[in-house]
Amino acid sequence: MTRKKRKKIHREAKWPRVVSLEEREEVLSFWEERFGIPRETFEAYLLLSTAKNYWLFIKPQEIRPLQNLQVQTVGLLFTRRVSKWLKPTSTALQRFGHLATRNVVELTPTALDRLRRERRLPFNDNHLEEGYVIIRCEGKVWGCGLYSKGRLISFLP
Amino acid sequence: MLELTEAPAYFEHYQEIIPNFQEFLEHLKKPLPLYFRLNELKCPREEIVLKGLERQGAKVFPVPDFPRFFRVEPRDFPLGNTEEYYLGYIYPMTLSSALPVLALDPRPGEYILDLCAAPGSKTTQIAQATGDRAVIVANDRRLDRLTALVANLKRLGVASALTTLYRGEVFPFGVPFDRVLVDAPCSGEGRYRQGYEGELLYQKEGHTNLPAIQKGLLVRAFDLVKTGGVVVYSTCTINPAENEMVVDYLLRKRQAEIIPCEYPLPHHPGLTEWEGRVLHPDLQKTARFYSHETESVGFFVAKIKRLF
Repeated sequence: MTRKKRKKIHREAKWPRVVSLEEREEVLSFWEERFGIPRETFEAYLLLSTAKNYWLFIKPQEIRPLQNLQVQTVGLLFTRRVSKWLKPTSTALQRFGHLATRNVVELTPTALDRLRRERRLPFNDNHLEEGYVIIRCEGKVWGCGLYSKGRLISFLP
Repeated sequence: MLELTEAPAYFEHYQEIIPNFQEFLEHLKKPLPLYFRLNELKCPREEIVLKGLERQGAKVFPVPDFPRFFRVEPRDFPLGNTEEYYLGYIYPMTLSSALPVLALDPRPGEYILDLCAAPGSKTTQIAQATGDRAVIVANDRRLDRLTALVANLKRLGVASALTTLYRGEVFPFGVPFDRVLVDAPCSGEGRYRQGYEGELLYQKEGHTNLPAIQKGLLVRAFDLVKTGGVVVYSTCTINPAENEMVVDYLLRKRQAEIIPCEYPLPHHPGLTEWEGRVLHPDLQKTARFYSHETESVGFFVAKIKRLF
């Protein structure tokens, strides 16, 4: 398996902002409605935002002392805003995807190999709603795909 | 680079402190066993990993007294090329590298600083030990090493860590840390063996004053932890100048106490005398681990409590 080249991080990264209750509700509702992962799963975490990205970070007793640190990264990249939609990251799905109860695509190792190579597959499943799905193979969650118009498109890293 | 043939002369001045010195020298010619830590944050069922690795030709054995650690046969099995590694289900690491975090004993809800964190074996171990529920500040002074740390945090799915890029000696005050880990940069003598002759990193550079750096890091760590808090200082070297003498320096400068600790590997009390210099008697409560006794990398661990 080839390893991806690591993305460089910026020396001057800024503290992400803590999202409003409404924004948190919107993101967590998306996870609950789309994948059946209850919002209580993330109760111990803060939701932070940088531009179009949402990050999950453990809720500290007090955040202010931490905000005085010049940080490079904070927490786990959780969800992205793509146009007007929310898209779960593969990183977050790999961590929490095993809790999902719907919109999970179970692939055989051969089909997963093909999807990773060709980036899209003809695919039909009446149990799936169109949109972002969780790609799983032999019990392992690999990440995010898009199910649309009889095709499965890979967003796997 | 120190050739293996030169090793007996290099380590000779440790003959008095390394038990069964000849056995130690012989052991340098043998490869170490291969271990990994299972990451239950991402992998809720360990049989997925164990069966997956076995299907790829590895034999996997649980390690007694080290929960979530497994030994892999054959020793040269390419763990880093497996999908279990890629998906962040495993973190390959030596057994003795796990000891500093066992001594640190981190708890959910605490503020924890890992002062020299890259590439992240101990940061991710802390995250696992606390169920991803402690606030972990993972710091390293080098951007290239921090990149590796960030990649490992992402691979293992850790949400409880933030990363910073400060020189450890001047890490800013203001966060009330409950525990601080100083896994200090060191000469790496404990890692030295056949096939790893280049691990004595600072030998060739010659000019780096490691004990001075280590003292600076440890004093800062102590000043950053709150009263009653715990600092764990560790290295993977045998050299007392980088171990007991660094902790001795702290004990003379600050109101600190060494806390004895139980470890699941054979170990020896720290030295209270070295090269004619008498050190603080409490240093016998620190622990020395030798590679030929532990089948792992040589290590030194000191657990220190801040009194005032």
